[in-house]
Amino acid sequence: MDFNSFKQYVIKAAQDLGITEYELYYQTSESTDVDIFKHEVNEFSSSMDGGVCFRCLVNGRMGYASTEELSAEQAESLVKRAYENASVLENDDREFLVEGGQEYEPLNITPYELPTTESLIQTALAGQEALYAADPAVIDGTSCSTGSVKRTIAIFNSKGLDLSYENNIAIFAAGAVVSNGKEMSNDYSVKTGSFLELDVKEQAAKAVSDALAKLDAEVAPTGSYPVVFSPKAVASLLGTYSGIFSAQSAQKGLSMLKGKEGEMIAAPIVTLVDDPFYPDSAMPISFDAEGSPTHKKNIIENGRLNTLLYNLKTAAIAGRQTTGNASKVSYTSPVGIRPFTMYLAGREFTEDELLQKAGNGVYINFLGGLHAGANVISGDFSLQSAGFLIENGVKTRAVKSFTVAGNFYQLLNQITAIGKEVELPNARGITSFGAPCVLVEGLSIAGK
Amino acid sequence: MISKEICQRVLARAVSTGADYAEIFAEHSVNHSISMIENKVETVQDAVIAGAGIRVYKGLRSVMATTIDTTEEGLLRCAGKAAEALSQGKAEISICLKERLYGDIHPVRVVPSSVSNAEKIAVLKEGYFAARQYSDSIRQVTGSLLDVDHNILIATSEGLYAQDRQIRTRLSISAVAEKNGETQTGSCSPGRRMGMEMFENEVDAKATGIKAAEQAVTMAGAGYCPAGVMPVAIGNGFGGVIFHEACGHSLEASSVAYGCSQFAGKLGQQIANPKVTAIDDGTIPNAWGSINIDDEGTPARKNVLIEKGILKSYMIDKFNGRRMGMPSTGNARRQSYSFTTTSRMTNTYIAEGADRNEDIISSIEYGLFAKQMGGGSVNPTTGEFNFAVAEGYLIRNGRICEPVRGASLVGKGSEVIMNIDMVGSGLELGQGMCGSSSGSIPTNVGQPLIRVASITVGGRS
Repeated sequence: MDFNSFKQYVIKAAQDLGITEYELYYQTSESTDVDIFKHEVNEFSSSMDGGVCFRCLVNGRMGYASTEELSAEQAESLVKRAYENASVLENDDREFLVEGGQEYEPLNITPYELPTTESLIQTALAGQEALYAADPAVIDGTSCSTGSVKRTIAIFNSKGLDLSYENNIAIFAAGAVVSNGKEMSNDYSVKTGSFLELDVKEQAAKAVSDALAKLDAEVAPTGSYPVVFSPKAVASLLGTYSGIFSAQSAQKGLSMLKGKEGEMIAAPIVTLVDDPFYPDSAMPISFDAEGSPTHKKNIIENGRLNTLLYNLKTAAIAGRQTTGNASKVSYTSPVGIRPFTMYLAGREFTEDELLQKAGNGVYINFLGGLHAGANVISGDFSLQSAGFLIENGVKTRAVKSFTVAGNFYQLLNQITAIGKEVELPNARGITSFGAPCVLVEGLSIAGK
Repeated sequence: MISKEICQRVLARAVSTGADYAEIFAEHSVNHSISMIENKVETVQDAVIAGAGIRVYKGLRSVMATTIDTTEEGLLRCAGKAAEALSQGKAEISICLKERLYGDIHPVRVVPSSVSNAEKIAVLKEGYFAARQYSDSIRQVTGSLLDVDHNILIATSEGLYAQDRQIRTRLSISAVAEKNGETQTGSCSPGRRMGMEMFENEVDAKATGIKAAEQAVTMAGAGYCPAGVMPVAIGNGFGGVIFHEACGHSLEASSVAYGCSQFAGKLGQQIANPKVTAIDDGTIPNAWGSINIDDEGTPARKNVLIEKGILKSYMIDKFNGRRMGMPSTGNARRQSYSFTTTSRMTNTYIAEGADRNEDIISSIEYGLFAKQMGGGSVNPTTGEFNFAVAEGYLIRNGRICEPVRGASLVGKGSEVIMNIDMVGSGLELGQGMCGSSSGSIPTNVGQPLIRVASITVGGRS
C-alpha cells in the first residue's frame, strides 16, 4: 500500500478513537552501493527502507508509534498504540503541532541527478584503478566504493500541514591501504554531492598520500603544546559537541550553556553558524522535523552565545520563537533538536600562517573514538589522534598513537587563531559540520 | 512469516541469472522503549520493523536487494532486481526447502510485548529513583527500558528454511553529578536475551541506579588523570572492551578475508601473551550477545579464538568464508534486513587466568586501575585502538588510591595483547551495542581483572 492510501486509513482510525490533533511523518530512502575489491565488483546492494511515525495529542501529551508495514491493520494498530503510549507519559510541558500555511524560504537548488547503476560501477572501478596507480605501496585490501541515496520526507498533520521533500545524493569513497613491507596503514577520502564535480584521481591521490603519511609515524612526545587542528578534526569535534547548543539539553541540565545566552562563552574571534541552506550541505531543506520554516542563524557571534537551538516545545518553555531546528534521529524518534549545517566561520589566516604562529607544537588531522573519549556533559575529552609535529613553524615528522586531552567548553576560549577556508568533510545526511583549520593554545598530549 | 512455497519460488527467481547461491532474510520486529528524565516518563517509542533482504552469490561476487514489501509479488520483484544486477548467464537450480528446528537455548518466560507499559514503568522508576536519591550532588538522571522482539526467517537455495525469535530487554540508567561547579557522569546498562523475568533474579533495577549514581559522584570529585605510559589494571566485566576493540574486530572475516587485518595469515601463530585465552561464544544461555542461529542460519557456536596466546580461529560468515576457503563459524550478523550481513562478535571474553587479583594490584608501583571502561573504537587494518576509562583510580605502591577522570587508553592491538601479562579471576560479561558495517548489534564483552604491563594513558600532563 502506498503512503497516500495508508494515510486515509490512519485518518479514519484517528477519527474512530476521537483523536483530533495528530501528525504523520513519512520517510523513505532508496540506496544503491557498489564495493570493489582488487579489480572487480565485490558487493552490490540495492536497498529500500522507510516507514511512518504517527504522533497524536491525548490530554495534552504526545504519544508516538511507528511502522514499516503499510497495511490497513497496521494503520489501526499504529493509532491505537500511539494513543496508549500517550496515556502513560508524565511530562507536563506543552506540546505543539505546526499550523499549515506557513511561509517557507524557497530552495534555490537544483536536485542532483542520481547516477545510474552503470555509472556507479564505472566510477568505482575508475577510482580503484586510480588508487592502485597513485603509489606502488598501495596493496590489495584497498577498496573504492560508490553509492547513491534518494531520500523522501513527508509531513502531514490535522492542522492543514502537508509538506514533502526529496533529496538525491551520490557518494564516492576511496579507501587506500598501503604497506612498507613491515606495517600497514590506511586512510579514506570521501566526496558527496554529484559525480559531475568529482575528480576521481584527486580523491584517490588524497587517500593514498594520507595513508602513506602514517606509515613509519612516530608516537608524539608527552607534554603541553599549541595544537593546529585540520578542518576535518575541528568538524569532528563540533559534531560530537553540537548537542550542547540544544535548548533541550540546556533545559534538562545536560549542557553547561544553560542560562548563558547573551554571555561570552568563546574567544571573540569565534563565530559559529547554523545554515540549513549552506551550498555544500548534503541535504539543504526549508522545513524542520516539525514542519516549521528553517533559517540561517549565528549560534555564537564574536564569542557571545547569541542563541541556543530550539524546537516548538523548548521555545515555548523559554518564552521565545522556535529556531526551526526540530529534528528526528530516525523517523521513529521523538522530536529532538539538531543543527543542519553547523560551521565555524572562517577568519583571516592560511594554514601555513597558523603553523607559523604555533611555532613548535602538534598538527592534528585525525581524531578517533569520539563516541567514547569525549564526554558531552562535562566537556572533557581525551582522544586518539594522528598528525604531524610542528617544528619552527612547519609540519615535519608524522606522529600517531597519542591522545589530545582538554575540555570543549575551555577549548572555545583557547582558540587563538582561525583559518580562512571552511571545509565540509563527510557531508552526508541531514546534519553536516564544517570548519577551517584552528590554532588552540595549551592542550595536553600523551604519547611516549 | 513467509511460507516455504513462496520462499522456493522467490529463491528460484533469485538464482535465475546464474547465481550459485541465494538467501532470503525476512524480519518482523517490534522495538519498544520507555524513557525518563527529570523524574518523569518523557517518551514511549514503539516501532514495527518489517522487510526482507535477498542476497545472491556468484563465486566471490555478492548482490543484495531489500524491500519492505513482503508479499509474494514484492519478494519476487526484489529477487528479480538482485538477479538482474548479478546477471551472469542463466541457471536453474532445483530448490527444495527443508524446515530445520534448532530449538531455543535462550528460553523467555515473560514476553515483554505482553507486559503493560505501567508494569515496565514501575521497574524503570525503581532504577531511576535509586540513582536520583543516591546523593545530593546528583543533578540529573536519565533512564530507559528497552525491549526488542526480533523475528527472523532464513531460507537458502541450499535447502535451509529456519526461523528464530530473539527477545532482548535492557535497562539503562545514567546519572549526572556536580561538585564545585564541575559535572561528571556515570552509567549502568545491564541487558539480557530475556524477557521481563530478567528483573526477577538476574538484574536488580535498584542496584543499577545506585551503580550509575555512585560512579557519577566518585568521578565528580576526581582530579584529571595524568598522561603517559604506565602499567594499567583493567577491571572485570565491561573492561573486556579492550579485547573487543584491540583484537576482536581484527579477527572478523570482514577484515581478514581482504588482508586488511593485523592478524591476517597468522592462524597457529602466537599473537598474544601465553596468559591470554579468548573465546567468542554465541551459545551462553540468555546472554545479551547470544543467538540460536546466526543471520545466515548457521547454528551459534563456542569458538576459541586464542588459546594460550596462539591464534586458533577467526570469526567467519558464509560470504567472506568463500574468499578465505573456510566454513562459517556462526558469526554472521546484521542489525536488520536493510543491512548486508557480515562477520561479527557475539559474547567475546578473555577466560580466567591463574593470577590472584590482589597480586595484580600490588604488582603495580605507579599506574592506573581502570575499574569501569567506557566505549572505544579500532582501525582493524592497523590495530590502532582507543577507549575511554569511565571510572579510574591511581595505583601507588601497590595500593588503589584516589579516583581520576578524563582518561583514555590508546595503542596498537597486536602490541597490547602481548602486553597482557597477568590474568586474574572473577570473569564477568558487560553489555554493549557494537556498530560496524552491518549495523548496530548487541554484543557482550568480558574478562576477569587483567594487567597490561605498559600502555599509553591519555590524560593531562
